[in-house]
Amino acid sequence: MDIKKLKPVFFIASILMAVIGTTLYMGSYFSGLLFILAAVVLFLAYKWLESGTAALLGLIKAGAQALMVPVFGIAIAIVLGALVMLASNYDPVESYRALFYGAFVQNWHVSVLNAAPLMFTGLSVALAFHAGLFNIGAEGQYYIGAMAATFLGLNLNLPPFLSLILIFVIAGMLASAWNIVPAILKVRTGAHEVITTMMLAHTARYLSPIFIRAHGGDPSTSDHAYVTDQLPEANWLPRFRSFLPEANYRLHVGILIGIAMALLVYYLLYHTRIGFEIRAVGQNKDAARAQGISIGKNIMMALLLAGFLAGLAGVNQVVGLDHKLYENLSAGYGWNGISVALLASSHPIGVIFTALLWGALDAGGQYMARVTDTSNSIVEIIKGIILFLVVAKYIYAYLGNRIRRYRRRKQEAAEGAA
Amino acid sequence: MEAFFTIANTDLLVAMVRLSTPITLAAIGAVICERSGIVNIAMEGIMIVGAFFAAVGALYTGNPWIGLLMGIVAGGIFSLIHAVATVSFHLNHVVSGAVLNILAMGVTRYFMVLFFGHPGTTDPIPNNLGQLRWAIPGLSKIPVIGRMFFDQTPIVYFSFILVIFFAWFMKKTKVGLHIRAAGEHPLALETIGVSVKKMRYLGVFISGLTSGMGGAYLAIENSASFTEGMTNGRGFIALAANISGGWNPIGAFIASLFFGFADALQVRFQVGKVFDIPEEIFIIFPYVATIIAVAGLVRRSRPPKEVGVDFMIEQEGD
Repeated sequence: MDIKKLKPVFFIASILMAVIGTTLYMGSYFSGLLFILAAVVLFLAYKWLESGTAALLGLIKAGAQALMVPVFGIAIAIVLGALVMLASNYDPVESYRALFYGAFVQNWHVSVLNAAPLMFTGLSVALAFHAGLFNIGAEGQYYIGAMAATFLGLNLNLPPFLSLILIFVIAGMLASAWNIVPAILKVRTGAHEVITTMMLAHTARYLSPIFIRAHGGDPSTSDHAYVTDQLPEANWLPRFRSFLPEANYRLHVGILIGIAMALLVYYLLYHTRIGFEIRAVGQNKDAARAQGISIGKNIMMALLLAGFLAGLAGVNQVVGLDHKLYENLSAGYGWNGISVALLASSHPIGVIFTALLWGALDAGGQYMARVTDTSNSIVEIIKGIILFLVVAKYIYAYLGNRIRRYRRRKQEAAEGAA
Repeated sequence: MEAFFTIANTDLLVAMVRLSTPITLAAIGAVICERSGIVNIAMEGIMIVGAFFAAVGALYTGNPWIGLLMGIVAGGIFSLIHAVATVSFHLNHVVSGAVLNILAMGVTRYFMVLFFGHPGTTDPIPNNLGQLRWAIPGLSKIPVIGRMFFDQTPIVYFSFILVIFFAWFMKKTKVGLHIRAAGEHPLALETIGVSVKKMRYLGVFISGLTSGMGGAYLAIENSASFTEGMTNGRGFIALAANISGGWNPIGAFIASLFFGFADALQVRFQVGKVFDIPEEIFIIFPYVATIIAVAGLVRRSRPPKEVGVDFMIEQEGD
């Protein structure tokens, strides 16, 4: 029998394994890792059947190359972070042990909870980047999404899944509407989106207390000041507990929606006409215009989609984790989404991993601060260094050139001597 | 009518000048930096670093002038990271700026915990520059104008001086012209033997110094303590002031006054409790004003031609 006929079997099995593995792993069932590994092996086998050994090796090599800079950056950042700890009289070995144990084993569920909103805001920034736009105000769209989700969650009384879907879609659309003004201004007058979305982010931030007071958080009339009423349980996102009995009780399926959204954005960007046009505008406006692609339309599209995605981060927090909206309790998911996107070089699939890394560093930092004397603000420093080392790719080109030049000169000197 | 006068009086205009000062200082930096060809959205972060180190200096030495100096120097040093990243390592300017803003939040949070044992707000600074009111004899007696411009605290005066100095510097000095050429026509500048790199480094560094000073103003003159996130978007408003001011120091100063006015109005509405509206509606005044300003005025002026464009000359032997 021809083994090539098994191609679709391998593919479907790989997808199935990936879904099971991811679900288990995100629910703190570490055996899920085996399924994920199996999925990777099956996928590689599928690729091998499809295009042969050489192509497979090429794929692996390209993957390894893409990973080199981030891995290197993270390694250096960990070393530099240790130096900072030493300079501030903390014990780096013990601190790191606590940090990694807390982030990836003991409090992995916190990492996952942190990562879910970051995935949405990271995707938002990444998508705008592909159009050459910088959605620095994702924080504002996050607030709008969270407010809209709270409002809808308090007022919708429909069959559970229907209302959840409506909340996600409508709140996302309202958040995307928050980006209409920057989009129109960018297209019409060229006003820089960095300034306009940033200003709107501050605006949204200050609108949220008004909203909270109007929905049960008024300190003069309510017994729970500065926080809205709780959403009815029918409008909560399902939790891992409902199908994985040992998962942490707070863990909700928002992370799976985030991962699905990342795959969707990947598909949109690389396999549809809309995505092609957005990327064309981002790479070369003149070339795009020459091809008959409308710059204005695609700028609008990218900013509105970015607003939608960032809004989902707020929805995810409200219907998934908090079930109410707190005042002044933003963990800066919008701002951190920028880091997550930059770290992933704006690749939607990369965002899944960088969001998890960022979430894990935060969770690990908290755990570390609890069990050791080290302050968890060290995590902020490590994050900053990682970001800088990964983003500044030219450093490596520069160092590479230096080394090459040095070698050449040495060689020339040796030849001259001989 | 009575309500109108509780808001619209000389105090409002004095507050306008006071609140525009940090924006003016950062906006001057933005003008120089963008004229040299580098977009600097890191000013928000530079300001927060400047504010923090100014507060630390003032608290630990008891001398606010040392605090001011530390704030300026810290801003300058922090801005050099942006210069290295964008000029030497050819990193996208906006990306580098965003990273620096994030790094600034991390750095101040870390040092906050290290120096004061807790995040949030520092102890109050007993000796701050807000206590020093320098009334200029004679001029301060002019009605309205006197109180607005000639009866202020030290850094407010420094900002006036810097506006005038840099307006002159950019128009009349050789270095100023070279900085402008670096943003308009870098290749021509390089051809006449002036290093574009150096001019761009200088532009970023100046913006770091002035933004650091703007941050210091917030921590040790306008208020008497440092709070995390106290810049509240002023670095970005300064960027808008630079744009609506047409990339020149005087214009940026006038635009900053406008934003300062929006801020002052906001404070007055809030404190005066004139209308029965949630106070947050007023807090968003300056942000909305900024959007209107960049929306309405941006077409009137032209940015430097090569701003945000990387400059790379291949050297022989590379």
